[in-house]
Amino acid sequence: MPKSQFIDPDKIRQKGEIVFQPIPVNQYSKSLSEERENFSDEDLVRIYHDMLLIREFETMLNLIKTTGEYRGIAYNHPGPAHLSIGQEAAAVGMAYNLGSDDYIFGSHRSHGEILAKGLSAIHWSDDKSLGKIMKSYFDRAIYDIVAKDHDSSVKELAKKFLVYGTLAEIFARETGFNKGLGGSMHAFFTPFGVYPNNAIVGGSGDISVGAALFKKVNRKKGIVVANIGDASMACGPVWEGIAFATMDQFTELWEGDMKGGLPLIINIMNNHYGMGGQTSGETMGYGMAARIGAGVNRDQMHAERIDGMNPLAVIDAYKRKIKVLEEKRGPVLLDTVTYRYSGHSPSDASSYRSKEEMEAWQKHDCIYNFRRELIDNNITDEDSLRLIDGEVNDLVLDMFKMVIDDDISPRMDLDKDTDLIGEVIFSDGSVNAMEQGEPEVLISLKDNPRVQQIARKERYAFDSDGKPYSKMKQYQLRDGIFEAVIDRFYKDPTLIAFGEENRDWGGAFAVYRGLTEALPYNRLFNSPISEGAIVGAAIGYAMCGGRVIPEIMYCDFLGRSGDEVFNQLPKWQAMSGNIIKMPVVLRVSVGSKYGAQHSQDWTSIVAHIPGLKVVFPATPYDAKGMMNAALQGTDPVVFFESQRIYDIGEQFHKEGVPEGYYEIPLGEPDIKREGSDITILTIGATLYRALEAADILQDKYSIGAEIIDARSLVPFNYEPVLESVKKTGRILLTGDASERGSFMNDMARNITGLAFDHLDAPAVVVGSRNWITPAYELEDYFFPQPDWIIDAIHTRILPLEGHAVKNDFSDKGKIERAKRGI
Amino acid sequence: MATQIKMPRQGQSVESCIITKLYIEEGNEVKEGDLLFAYETDKASFEYESEQDGVLLKWLFNEGDEVPVLETVCIVGVEKEEDEVVQAWIRRSTPSGPRQQGESDPRQQDDIPLSRHKVGTSPLKGGSKISPRARKLAEVKGIDIRSVKGSGPGGRIIVRDLEGAEKAEPVLITTADSDEYSEEPLTNIRKIIAKSVYQSLQNSAQLTHHLGADARKLMAARKKIKKAKGNKGYVNITINDLVCFAVIKALAEHPRVNSQLHGETLRLFRHVNLGTAVDTERGLMVPVIKHADSLSIEEFSKRAAALSVQCRSGAVDPDILRPEAGSFTVSNLGNYGVEMFTPVINLPQTAILGVNTIVLRPADLGDGVYGFVPYIGLSLTYDHRALDGGEATRFLKRVAEEVENIEIK
Repeated sequence: MPKSQFIDPDKIRQKGEIVFQPIPVNQYSKSLSEERENFSDEDLVRIYHDMLLIREFETMLNLIKTTGEYRGIAYNHPGPAHLSIGQEAAAVGMAYNLGSDDYIFGSHRSHGEILAKGLSAIHWSDDKSLGKIMKSYFDRAIYDIVAKDHDSSVKELAKKFLVYGTLAEIFARETGFNKGLGGSMHAFFTPFGVYPNNAIVGGSGDISVGAALFKKVNRKKGIVVANIGDASMACGPVWEGIAFATMDQFTELWEGDMKGGLPLIINIMNNHYGMGGQTSGETMGYGMAARIGAGVNRDQMHAERIDGMNPLAVIDAYKRKIKVLEEKRGPVLLDTVTYRYSGHSPSDASSYRSKEEMEAWQKHDCIYNFRRELIDNNITDEDSLRLIDGEVNDLVLDMFKMVIDDDISPRMDLDKDTDLIGEVIFSDGSVNAMEQGEPEVLISLKDNPRVQQIARKERYAFDSDGKPYSKMKQYQLRDGIFEAVIDRFYKDPTLIAFGEENRDWGGAFAVYRGLTEALPYNRLFNSPISEGAIVGAAIGYAMCGGRVIPEIMYCDFLGRSGDEVFNQLPKWQAMSGNIIKMPVVLRVSVGSKYGAQHSQDWTSIVAHIPGLKVVFPATPYDAKGMMNAALQGTDPVVFFESQRIYDIGEQFHKEGVPEGYYEIPLGEPDIKREGSDITILTIGATLYRALEAADILQDKYSIGAEIIDARSLVPFNYEPVLESVKKTGRILLTGDASERGSFMNDMARNITGLAFDHLDAPAVVVGSRNWITPAYELEDYFFPQPDWIIDAIHTRILPLEGHAVKNDFSDKGKIERAKRGI
Repeated sequence: MATQIKMPRQGQSVESCIITKLYIEEGNEVKEGDLLFAYETDKASFEYESEQDGVLLKWLFNEGDEVPVLETVCIVGVEKEEDEVVQAWIRRSTPSGPRQQGESDPRQQDDIPLSRHKVGTSPLKGGSKISPRARKLAEVKGIDIRSVKGSGPGGRIIVRDLEGAEKAEPVLITTADSDEYSEEPLTNIRKIIAKSVYQSLQNSAQLTHHLGADARKLMAARKKIKKAKGNKGYVNITINDLVCFAVIKALAEHPRVNSQLHGETLRLFRHVNLGTAVDTERGLMVPVIKHADSLSIEEFSKRAAALSVQCRSGAVDPDILRPEAGSFTVSNLGNYGVEMFTPVINLPQTAILGVNTIVLRPADLGDGVYGFVPYIGLSLTYDHRALDGGEATRFLKRVAEEVENIEIK
């Protein structure tokens, strides 16, 4: 695509071979005595302490799940607990060199990582910043609990804070790190660089890429580590994340200090099992997971298999790999060998592995062996270690007691405030720029060729005689989106956009034409064909505090980013107790004329998922105003655009689309034409077909239709619609989504319930057929047409004098089709 | 002029009655006081007395038929030439099929729709369908939907069908528009109100006492309330709310006033079910606030305001509009400047308090100083059959005292 990269057929057709380099496996061989020059005694003892704390914490949870009590105190925890007993060295080693600026993402089995990273962050922080972090988190909610009766150092207090906050979160307390909304599998604490753990296997695989992208593009300190499992190497998001993270363009096209690879380590915590499926030997083919690096890029992702049972081996590997990242040669793939004694989950009877295997690994236990080494090398003695054992046990027991006390650690009181969880679903923020600073741009706005071209266009579609200007002269819907997007690029330095064919091509539908000239690669670039990673990376980028516009070229491709759109994007604000914001505006283009897999309207599927705002403007004025509002907000917005009307002019706003900045609040429908005999509510491009129908109704039957353009699906203000229905008594809804299970049906049911006594007929929905979308030539049989609207009115609301019906909207037809599932 | 004789409604929950005996044959003379027919509910039997002289023109039901309440049972007219008018009426009431000329026996029309246009009655059993909007419109306009042909899907009666029906109103009452005047038939609501007030005045011994109460504290309280506007939890407590509250307190000490008269029994209520008159476009409505004595002034005020809105929009629960639902009523004409009036009791209640406007009167302020003091007029109409003048006056005085001593926190 970039013309600078000439594809030379002579070179391409040349004979040769691809050569692979050996991938190191467990090459670390230093003894503890050799390492004493790199570590102080305190450091080594600290490593022991941290591993032990994790062990005791996980053991406590294991006892609670299996016996219902811990050290004589009874407690029932019905929720999940995926424990990592045995994997402590891998976690502590990983975290040892990382500070608060380094972010880790994890999986469902990440308690150990949370504690290890937290302890490391505490070690590297000073008392003042620790105090600030603890006191400002949820307004001292956790600080006040653990600080009461605390009489030693700030760092000791911070440890209590860490253990309490994590455990309280696991036990669903409102005083947990995420108010109890995340739980065991999603707990995290961003001030220590512990970013969300993902219960969806491999979920962090592409999200972490976005976080690394954020660090790079915004010139932030620190690296990103994704701790995922060996079985997650089968997952789409992980492969797509790897594809995204290893794009050539980082080193070949990005310029200046942006040139170079992402600061990302993909750390496979290889404990040899998925839930029970054994990866090496049964469900995967790689033998050793590090092999994967060889297939990805020339650097083979600097892949290594390292001995995760020895904390010092892990620390050594990280030291070397962090240097690789600092030299901008990332990303890195690490295959960390480890083992878990605990089952996958409390219900795991470990039928998939033998007792001999578990016993064999227990002989290699990382804590037992490290402890022995400390004593054998005279770094410390048995008594001192026993002291530490005691401290760790006390810490866990004390925090356990506080967490299970309902008075100290209550749960959210949904009896008192039934809407409590509702409050955190959206942040409803209004933020000009996610960070202060000068946005990086290549030319001034007025020098932009597209801006200049738009300046010559007519911002209202009709001239003073009411004649429409030519399409070329009209300011189009795509121009409205462009103006809002480029305006924000010049305001918010964190804003970036990416998707397929975004740069150079200007987007498949020319929305972005002119942006390539204005922005460097690091703010606008082409992603791989990885819809999952497109959305996933955007999520990670936004989690770190950046605003981002990912694009899905065709609505039909949403399925490819299913997990990211349905399970990740809508949920992190709520699961974090609103600590994390999600300023993502996901642009989705709804096709037509392109057949079964390129013409579907899936707005209804997206609108069904709680946590997403969903909009579908149909005019240039609405598109610009709503894109401005979406980009001003801090919530995830799925912004639908219809390819049918990218080129439509502004037919309603007589003053023309304003040149300056304005917002249209999301959730407000708009009356496009007034009438008193029937209300027609439209979603998306059917607005124009409804207007055609309205003309026919007026001319032939003297019926005045009031056309309301929904503009938004979620949120949605019913009041103007109800006012209209009170006036007319009749309502018909239409949109391009297939009628069954459509959002129109949701609206129709709501309107019927809210305006029942004012209705002269039940609400009627005219959607697309419940079929595949046919070829262009047959489209009019699939998507709603003006005569369908008239026929539906005649059959179901108000029989029209002299009208002959062509389309079947009868009860009988409906029942028959429903029986056949079409 | 022919009269439709309708099946009476003998109680709140009675939906229909069975005709047990027809006493007069078609074509025979009827005298006032004659028994026309006998009917029964599942609890009791009754007989229907004619209220006029005339000729029994048509029976619409047979002995043994179950007739929904307020349905027309027969037609009593003056002379036989009214036949045509009656026939027109009967023809119009058939829901489908071609218009029949000459005699048509309505008793053979067994699909006469059992519709009613009273608020809150049960849905149609068989017969024509009607949209909620059209049903409401028909009620308000007093259109008999049995006479309307539905043109909506499936023969549903829809709003536009009523536009035609309105114009084709029955010719029972001759509309003779002329230069000198125009005529319009009374709506159902008007008819109901007319009957109610007429019967109240005819069937009781009502008289009214007027008394003024010093309104200074009342006005101060209202001023204090208005000052708090904009504060959290602000409730717009009106003068009327405050007076009602005073009434409720006074009724606690005069329980005989908080009562209904049923024949020779005085029903004394343990709680105050206060009716508050609301003026709406469609006519006067008196929704009742049940157990008003257990509400705080804020709760009372909010409830009264809400009911007022509901009445005006037509969304009020019809059960609380019945006079039987209340144990006392307050009617306020103070906003209109009325200084004194004689409100009509909602039978079977025994009294009603009219609230008048505030006027300034000279009064002795003490030590020979005279000044103008605002007084609010209170007009209590009571039924002398149930209450004596002394008792009523003592109650009225108590209300005045409560008003004069109003304190708002």
